[in-house]
Amino acid sequence: MPGGGWPTASLIEVLLDDTGLGEVQLFLPALVECQRRVGQTSGDAPWLVWIAPPHEPYAPALAQAGIELTRLLIVRPASATEALWAAEQALGSGVCAAVLLWLKGTDDRWLRRLKLAAEAGGALGVLFRPERHRFESSPASLRLVMSKGEPETRLDLIKVQGGRPGPVELGSP
Amino acid sequence: MNRRAKRRQEAEADARRGARRARAQDGHASISRTADLFAAPAASAAPAPPAPAPQTAGRKRAQQLWYAAVFPQLTEADADLMLQKLCLHAQRFTSFVSIEPPNALLLEIKGSLQLLGPPETLHANIDACWRRLELPVRSATAPSTLAALWFARSGTHTGRSVVIEDLATLPGRLAELPIACTAWSIERLQTLRAMGVTRMGELLRLPRAGLARRLSQAAVQDLDIALARQPAPRRAFVPRERFRERCDFESEIETVAYLEKALEPVIERCAQFLRERQAGVQTLRLTLRHREGPATCVHLGLASITSERRRLTDVLTQKLGRLELPKPVRSMELKSGALQPLSAGSLDAFAGLAGSGGRDTAPQLVERLRARLGEEAVYGVVSIPEHRPEAAWRRVHELPLAFPLRAGEKTAAQNAGDGMPRPVWLLEAPLPLADGLILEEGPERIESGWWDGRGVARDYYVARTPVGAPRQPQGAKLWVFQERQSRRWYLHGVFA
Repeated sequence: MPGGGWPTASLIEVLLDDTGLGEVQLFLPALVECQRRVGQTSGDAPWLVWIAPPHEPYAPALAQAGIELTRLLIVRPASATEALWAAEQALGSGVCAAVLLWLKGTDDRWLRRLKLAAEAGGALGVLFRPERHRFESSPASLRLVMSKGEPETRLDLIKVQGGRPGPVELGSP
Repeated sequence: MNRRAKRRQEAEADARRGARRARAQDGHASISRTADLFAAPAASAAPAPPAPAPQTAGRKRAQQLWYAAVFPQLTEADADLMLQKLCLHAQRFTSFVSIEPPNALLLEIKGSLQLLGPPETLHANIDACWRRLELPVRSATAPSTLAALWFARSGTHTGRSVVIEDLATLPGRLAELPIACTAWSIERLQTLRAMGVTRMGELLRLPRAGLARRLSQAAVQDLDIALARQPAPRRAFVPRERFRERCDFESEIETVAYLEKALEPVIERCAQFLRERQAGVQTLRLTLRHREGPATCVHLGLASITSERRRLTDVLTQKLGRLELPKPVRSMELKSGALQPLSAGSLDAFAGLAGSGGRDTAPQLVERLRARLGEEAVYGVVSIPEHRPEAAWRRVHELPLAFPLRAGEKTAAQNAGDGMPRPVWLLEAPLPLADGLILEEGPERIESGWWDGRGVARDYYVARTPVGAPRQPQGAKLWVFQERQSRRWYLHGVFA
């Protein structure tokens, strides 16, 4: 990764078909770090917002990873448009460290709005989408594809702003 | 009208004016601080208060001065309501009035002295107020809440009222009181009598450690509070008022945009109303009336108590944006929920003043999301110390928005299954599984809950589905368990 670690104040797109590949765990250390670091400057700890996760986020697991649960907000919108709207609001609000969003599909125009909101609000946006969107254009500054390999999860960077795309070796998720 | 009555009326009017000014300048109590920020321009416009009187050598002025009024004739049934009414009377003299159940009021009068005269005069004026209401009362003024209360309780109907301003004389005066004035429990008083203690003086002479052991730590704390050695924060009374304003339109309004425009000044006045009362609201109701048919009701919930115009506007706009007017609107009415005191934690005044077009606060974000997506759609989670995985967490809709959390601070009880693996996703209900899993870790035996009829006896494993397995996530890392009785396998979580 250029600069080492996840970029902040930008949009990351994760393309995968099924949950269970450790895709959230990949970001948990970064989320913990975000909550801690941003908090030191503003005084009040920043929020994490998870929008439309595929299952119930399990509080003990998140606490185990070090996430501050009193600053975690879960949003269950009724439609994709509302999910995108909520993500835009949260990213641009300036009180969130990171916004995770699960979607089945969306168009380019909405993604651009999310990216702008992330930059304006200084928040990290992570979008999880099915892999079939791989060949669509996307304004995300980082795009990666996760798939099941043998024996470990395969992770391909297909777009890295300011870096070189390619496969990444992962430890077991 | 005779001259005396006229003079009295003038004095009352003066007192009322004075009290109002005192409210604006008074900054000692936490509740008043909130008002200070808002009332700053008004306070600076008012004439500067006279310089404080030079302190007399050897006299130690108290930080606070409390006036206590005990109403012995209030009956249990209506005491609560009566005291609230009496608070409204008392608020003429100070901004900080507090109810002391079952039958007393406490008024902080230090802040009112500059305007309403020396303590003796003010004390007599407040007493006169109760006399006019024909309420028998015992009152006293002292530098601490409990001392004032104790003096008031021990006073007689006809006796001179006690006014103590000097901290140095307080212990000496307290010493004369009988111990019954503390209103401690019968057992505690009997213990004291058995020890030969009948007056406060004898009690104050006893060593603290022994007293704490024989009575309780709370008793020692009471004594400290009475001697003004320890602060005793109190909750101020806020009158049960509501904001209510009705607007009749000359021509009917057909679009939401016009409605928003018409609401702007009303919300401004609502915010002003709340600021003046140092209070906030958590709910608002907007009623839109049409020429015929039922009225349209818009109910607004705020994530935390607020008096800020921007937040009120924000939520209203969000709700109205999704509203479809069934018919043109003839009149509207904005009504607030019950007023609640603003605490220092719910004060987002700085955020509101600094960034009129800038960033949000967390409550604002939550409100906006809830206004559009619904109350239930936005929630938090907590972890609960419990062995059964499905009972180890809970949704929370009351979000901890009001109190700020310092960076790096941990509030959650660390209950993480003692380091055992826990999945990021938990399924709503365990899903029956076919065989053919590759077990990777485990078993972790969880056997609990037999006492409430929802007992579990399971062996948990971390497992993987083989690549190519039908109808299952391909190669996903799963949290599965085998029920020990039925030997059946279930999927319970996913390591995402």
